[in-house]
Amino acid sequence: MKDFFDTWKFKILIAIAVFLVGIMAYAGANGRLTAAPQELLSVAVAPFQRAAAAVSSGVASLWENYANIDAILEENQQLSEENASLRSQMVDYDKLKAENEAYKALANIQEQHPEMSYTSSFVIGRDPLDSFWGFTLDRGTLDGVAVNDAVISDEGYLLGVVREADLTSCKVMTVLHPSFNAAGVVSRTRDNGIITGSADYAADGLCILSNLARSTLSREGDQVITTGLGGVFPPDVLVGVIKELTPEASGKSTLAVIQPGADPRTVRHVFIITNY
Amino acid sequence: MESRRKRSRSQRLKWGCYILLLVACTVLQTMPGLFQFGAAKPLWLLPLCLAVSAAEGEFAGAVFGAVCGLMWDYTAGRTVGMLALELMILCFGVSVVVQLYLKDTPSNFVLLAVVCALLVLSADWLFFYYMPGYAGAGERFLWVVLPSALMTAPGSWLLHCAVRRISTEFKIDNGVV
Repeated sequence: MKDFFDTWKFKILIAIAVFLVGIMAYAGANGRLTAAPQELLSVAVAPFQRAAAAVSSGVASLWENYANIDAILEENQQLSEENASLRSQMVDYDKLKAENEAYKALANIQEQHPEMSYTSSFVIGRDPLDSFWGFTLDRGTLDGVAVNDAVISDEGYLLGVVREADLTSCKVMTVLHPSFNAAGVVSRTRDNGIITGSADYAADGLCILSNLARSTLSREGDQVITTGLGGVFPPDVLVGVIKELTPEASGKSTLAVIQPGADPRTVRHVFIITNY
Repeated sequence: MESRRKRSRSQRLKWGCYILLLVACTVLQTMPGLFQFGAAKPLWLLPLCLAVSAAEGEFAGAVFGAVCGLMWDYTAGRTVGMLALELMILCFGVSVVVQLYLKDTPSNFVLLAVVCALLVLSADWLFFYYMPGYAGAGERFLWVVLPSALMTAPGSWLLHCAVRRISTEFKIDNGVV
């Protein structure tokens, strides 16, 4: 082993390490996460991820059912009667069917926001290192996706924002991430705040609306929407409903805990707003 | 004793198999909802590169570790090169440990893989969760980092067997008995 440190192999390893530190520094300095070698890797891997994601819905459902067997049994009992009447109508939920359903939902969204352009996309990856449920989508710059595009659910609820766009895939930062920031407003009272994530609530799939006035008249069940301020997110995109109101630590403002209309932890199909 | 051409072909096939395993592990690691308990999910790329480094030696193992790390950097959305550097060093270390101190048995390897998974996950937790000051860091370590490291064990055993099989199948016959 001592001899190994004198060999050309060891020098190559040191050179690779220096190269990795170099691209890490370069990427850090330019505010990017990926570099050219990784973009090539992503193009090679994306089709496999897409194929795997297509079958993962079934596998994941099976696994989730196994993990939550007690709750599932109880729910199963309640639903068995309903299932009997629906069984005849059941069909296979393949990709085209899912997308078709999603487009029907999109039609409703487009009625409300005809000025927006959307791209349909499937979730193809979730990495275990992501603490705030970020995910990878199967659409990239070749499909017109760009950094800071808003990502919404089939029903039109805000899920997150594209933070890195590769050629054939992109990464999404969800509304549960503390670094996520969007100008929001309580639709009934027009109280303004900042929609962001919080480590306290992310595990439960909740986000927050911070900086609400201390004297806010908002209450549980009020809808929260985006204002469009800042130009990143389009205005009037649904986010969710207020679950509870608590005073912020400083005592000067109120914090509203939001139950997002769509759960970023389990979502499998989304729309990316590419233009508005 | 095999001809040079045959040996070269066999080596290409072997590394082709490793690359296929790399793609399969990437897909398994990022597949939404697969083998997931709460927020905990098993790692696949880490045990793969460790198994390859245990079977192929420190140089090839370290380079393969760097490639796996680049892939993981991409899927995890981490700054490019960070996990690559970590995995390269880990693979080098594991290969040395296996050559000098530990017998390359499945149980030893699973132990090494779980310890390495704990190291990588703990470092990630430290730099990306605890140090930014997010709330619930202790709970996250207990309910996500530790289970994820433990859940890596079964996959490690499988990958160790697969890599051993590939390594043995394409072993160079140099005529030495």
